Amino acid sequence: MMLFVESKKLKRTGFIAAFLGGGILASLIPILNMAVRSENFVGLSERPLKILLDANWQMMAMLNVLLVVIGACMMYYTEYADNAMQKMRTLSMKESTMFFGKFILLVGMSAVVLALEAATVSFCTVHWFSADTDFFIELLKNYGYTLLLIVPSAAFSLVIASACKNMWVSLGICVVCIFTATMISNKNFILSLFPFALPFQTFSEDAVKYCIAACIEMIVAGATELIYLKGRRAFE
Amino acid sequence: MSFSSLLSVEFKKIKRSKILLILLAATIFLWLPAIFNANINFTMQDIGISPENNFLIQGFLGMSWFMFPASMVVGTVLLTQTERSNKGILKMLSLPISTKKLCIAKFTVLLSLAATQILMAVGMYFVSAAITTQTQGYNFMLSPMFVLKEAALIFAFSIPMLAVFWMLSVCIQTPIFAVGAGLASIVPSVLMINTKLWFAYPMCYPFYVITAEYGKLATKMSTNDINLSMLLPVAIAVTVIALAIACFRFGQAERR
Repeated sequence: MMLFVESKKLKRTGFIAAFLGGGILASLIPILNMAVRSENFVGLSERPLKILLDANWQMMAMLNVLLVVIGACMMYYTEYADNAMQKMRTLSMKESTMFFGKFILLVGMSAVVLALEAATVSFCTVHWFSADTDFFIELLKNYGYTLLLIVPSAAFSLVIASACKNMWVSLGICVVCIFTATMISNKNFILSLFPFALPFQTFSEDAVKYCIAACIEMIVAGATELIYLKGRRAFE
Repeated sequence: MSFSSLLSVEFKKIKRSKILLILLAATIFLWLPAIFNANINFTMQDIGISPENNFLIQGFLGMSWFMFPASMVVGTVLLTQTERSNKGILKMLSLPISTKKLCIAKFTVLLSLAATQILMAVGMYFVSAAITTQTQGYNFMLSPMFVLKEAALIFAFSIPMLAVFWMLSVCIQTPIFAVGAGLASIVPSVLMINTKLWFAYPMCYPFYVITAEYGKLATKMSTNDINLSMLLPVAIAVTVIALAIACFRFGQAERR
């Protein structure tokens, strides 16, 4: 029920079109990179997936995080823009239901975007390298991993968006967070657990640790939102 | 209504928007890593740049590649949404004011937000250089004139980019596309500065000019110089066309 209502709200905001457009843009990066300078990559001895992700993932991840942040800000902005939020609060339902509805939709669209990117990565591999069954298992693993790691940033940007009435404030805070994430180096494990820095990771030996961290951050974000909603009711 | 009073009205509108806090937070997060990783500046001898120059340039590179353009996209959201959210734009359009003047006044506000953020970054640079001088026992302070010159370069080269961002936010009514187009256009600038066609892409101008300055300060590194005779006509054309389109489209969706 909630999902249905939430997806209807997004109908004319261009949400789905923006995600598909952004996903196509991000998935064009490896194709363009390979088309222009394939000679830099084909001769390397590493696994094709690793070569492709090492060369392109930073930019693709950047676009993914930006998309998630814009989507989150947009979702709450439509509520606040014409005081629709007040109507939502008079309904006989919990406000947190709305948050989780939006959250599921946002993660669902990120899954679509990541699937688009995985499809072009496998196209690049088949076209310029050789793909065996191992490659597709590796690709699936990496797909699930990146999807799990993008979830905390989606959750936290929704928390930020739900707390700010004006879109530029939430967008501004999220942009500062993304910028901070780009300044964090991968070498420091604790710092790289920053929710907005997680999507820049690719599958590595530390994968399990990052997965646990992502799950914890997800729970923390959900709890923050619940506490925030309770607290706001006490003060408003 | 004269342009100056129109401008003061526009500044009043964003008085309580908290945008300055956001811009300031961005500049603080820009210099924090530089303070913590200050010792890295002493390992740059092989490209022939002095530690104090490296400290400044690395910070400015971080600013001109993502932070500054992205903050300006947020600025355009602020300028368009404050009017649209409570139909304030309808009231503005009903007054006997030229819409073109109004559009240019709003763009001037955007320019002053840009200048403010750059000046904040310069201010934070002096604070962090002073801290680093204390922690590292090496003088990281550069002459204020030199720092301001670099900052002025970023500002001057960002004007075409700001005009394009302003055009995007005026022309695209759906906020998600306006913001998305603005932010997505920043990402490829890393690739564009390495191509010969960089001057055709206004979003990479500030980043390019700082990279060129980096090349000048690092004696053993070769980067491309700025060919002003090629850049200026393109930059002026981009600015004029973008502003003309923005002025033409401003308020048109509301007047339908």
